[in-house]
Amino acid sequence: MAQYTQLGLQDAASPLMEELLHFHDHALMIITLISAFVLYIILTMVTAKTTDKYILDSQEVEIIWTVLPAIILVLIALPSLRILYLLDEINDPHLTIKAMGHQWYWSYEYTDYEDLGFDSYMVPTQDLTPGQFRLLEADHRMVIPVESPIRVLVSAEDVLHSWAVPSLGVKMDAVPGRLNQVAFVASRPGVFFGQCSEICGANHSFMPIVVEAVPLEHFENWSSLMLEDA
Amino acid sequence: MLATRALRLIGKRAISTSVCARGGHGVAKVEDYTLPVYLDRQDVPLPEISYVQKLSPEQKSLKEKEKGAWAALSLDEKLALYRISFEKSYAEMNQGSDEWKSVIGGVFIFIGLTGLIVLWQRKYVYGPVPHTFDDEYKQKELQRMLDMRMNPVQGISADWDYENKQWKK
Repeated sequence: MAQYTQLGLQDAASPLMEELLHFHDHALMIITLISAFVLYIILTMVTAKTTDKYILDSQEVEIIWTVLPAIILVLIALPSLRILYLLDEINDPHLTIKAMGHQWYWSYEYTDYEDLGFDSYMVPTQDLTPGQFRLLEADHRMVIPVESPIRVLVSAEDVLHSWAVPSLGVKMDAVPGRLNQVAFVASRPGVFFGQCSEICGANHSFMPIVVEAVPLEHFENWSSLMLEDA
Repeated sequence: MLATRALRLIGKRAISTSVCARGGHGVAKVEDYTLPVYLDRQDVPLPEISYVQKLSPEQKSLKEKEKGAWAALSLDEKLALYRISFEKSYAEMNQGSDEWKSVIGGVFIFIGLTGLIVLWQRKYVYGPVPHTFDDEYKQKELQRMLDMRMNPVQGISADWDYENKQWKK
């Protein structure tokens, strides 16, 4: 989850998010350097004592400040396109889960083997047990086996929602009448939080997503328990 | 010599309120903004017109003297000639002012006013923050984050030494 005053991205929990994180560092470093350079130029120009400012042409510097930005753009574009195509790689998911957005909760359906479905409502602030995270905790988590490719089919039952888990690098709009697919692998066990990312009414800020990645045996135990409870 | 002649020509143009004859349609008024102006700028060393357009008799005689050998001019006369052509010297033009003090003062005044408004709001408008902001609750949250190994790579759990149960040095 994100911490207070956090500026950067959360630690990656999936390989794609790792790639995105590194690319973000790369791009941010480039733009920081460019901004520092421009600031330096501005300060130099403002404090300069020269009075002859009407320079009419200069081929050399024109060539440099055309070619250098082109090179920088290529250096940004190549990793970016690489990740773009990585996102579209062919997946072979072990598990398919349907995440349906409602006003104002998510429901998850695990229908590969049995008919398992449940709703996931936010835990209200007054009902939190000490230590739980306000506006992020849900009563039922979407449990997945760790290190297994998962396919999530995202849709909505009423209005637009969006299923997002930042540490997994996942965000997919939930459109009523449409099935959107997103795939990921949780590389480490843990609990990953996200929030609805498309305005959907009064409680849009109060329908979080909680994904719990556990070893396979734990996942099997959990799904048996959930089926019994249903 | 050439310079003074050129200056006089430009000066004459500037003083005259000549009208512009338009072919067949009558005359149009010459607008002020189309006439050459005097301008003190660091990067424009020679303004379009002299500063002083209407010369007093002493200045006129000085201008006549200028047509002769410049070595014959005294320092005061040279300065007087300079002041005819220019309003400010470079030093005067570039000197700063104390305006920045007023600006900074104004900025702080408005920041202070905003602060007062914010304090008033916090006291009289907003309700209490949720109980999750209590120190005790925050401690439990932090403990839970560490127990759940949240952000273990570079985030909070990476800074905690689980063996010795303390923050890493």
